[in-house]
Amino acid sequence: MTSALTRTALPLLGAILLAGAAASQQTDPRLERLDAGTRPTVAALVDSAHRALLPTEPLVQRALEGATKRASGDLIVAAVRRLAVDLGRARDALGSTASAAELSAGAAALHAGASQTILAELRHARREPLTVPLAVLADLVASGVPVDSAAGAVLSLAGRARDADLVEFRRAVERDIALGAPPAAATAAAATATAQIVDVNAGARQQRPGRP
Amino acid sequence: MFEPVDDAIERIARHLRRPVRIDPALDSRVMREITTVPQPGGATLLGATWRWLRRPHRVTLTPLGGLAAAAALAVVVLLSRTDSQSPAPPQTESRAFQFVLVAPRATHVSLVGDFNDWDATRTPMRRAGSEALWTVVVPLAPGRYHYAFFVDGARWLADPSAPVARDEDYGAPSSVLTVGGGGS
Repeated sequence: MTSALTRTALPLLGAILLAGAAASQQTDPRLERLDAGTRPTVAALVDSAHRALLPTEPLVQRALEGATKRASGDLIVAAVRRLAVDLGRARDALGSTASAAELSAGAAALHAGASQTILAELRHARREPLTVPLAVLADLVASGVPVDSAAGAVLSLAGRARDADLVEFRRAVERDIALGAPPAAATAAAATATAQIVDVNAGARQQRPGRP
Repeated sequence: MFEPVDDAIERIARHLRRPVRIDPALDSRVMREITTVPQPGGATLLGATWRWLRRPHRVTLTPLGGLAAAAALAVVVLLSRTDSQSPAPPQTESRAFQFVLVAPRATHVSLVGDFNDWDATRTPMRRAGSEALWTVVVPLAPGRYHYAFFVDGARWLADPSAPVARDEDYGAPSSVLTVGGGGS
């Protein structure tokens, strides 16, 4: 009995353990594009994010961007690590039900200077996906609009504006800034104009006759 | 004519206190009877399967068979991991976006970004109409994308018609495209 156990179970157990170890070290094949010194660290960061139930695709893409642009390994690792932290903070603010796209946009907004409180308020203000509001917030802050002005404007619109309205709002702000308007003033003016358009459109939708 | 009540009770109690002798073969007889009683569902295939599942079986396996089983297990694990790490599958709500660059002196332009693994060979742009205009159409699902134009295998250009990515980590310029849900 003992020899039978030795002949069968032990090799099986060993093989399973080896296979499990090999599987646990399997990394995304796309990361082969990173140099040998950078790859293990990035793979560990991606694996850690995966275990934390964070989206890993943005991390892989950030690493691949660095590889394609021939950035140094240190720069790539720092960028991936920072993004992983921001994704975690975005998830804390937006909740565990946030989609990968929302978390990615939320991470960009946080990196631009928005606070987790603003992200949480946006979550409460809007039932539809937050990807576009968060991305618009990030882009506005990155364009030089003060965080408070950008957050106030996006929050005021997020509850009723469609994605298209928000994208048009951002374009209007950037256009006015390019024409020389102060960023905060451009944001306030564009928010007011967008809100009026949204209200007019909402009123028009309400006045449509119902179906028979 | 009648015995006193206490005496009668005393006699009954004495009788009940006597040890009872039980046939030593009783246990084995009872167990034999139990095993002959048909079990619920015993005649059905389900009952037979259930009895088979509960019975211990001896399985012999050669080391080669063990390795094959482990290899199969590893393949299953690897496939599940690959699925979880691969990019999101194309969604039905993907929308086609046209990217345009004016680059009169360029001989080759690629669109590179989060949507094609930053692979400069995957999305080459084509001249459209004039010699200066380069264009390509890419389906994109909702999300926020970083991208750039890679010109002649050497130069990175941001899209002049899109917001610049300020969260750029690598020095070379990138642009940002936000794709919303319906209506954007």
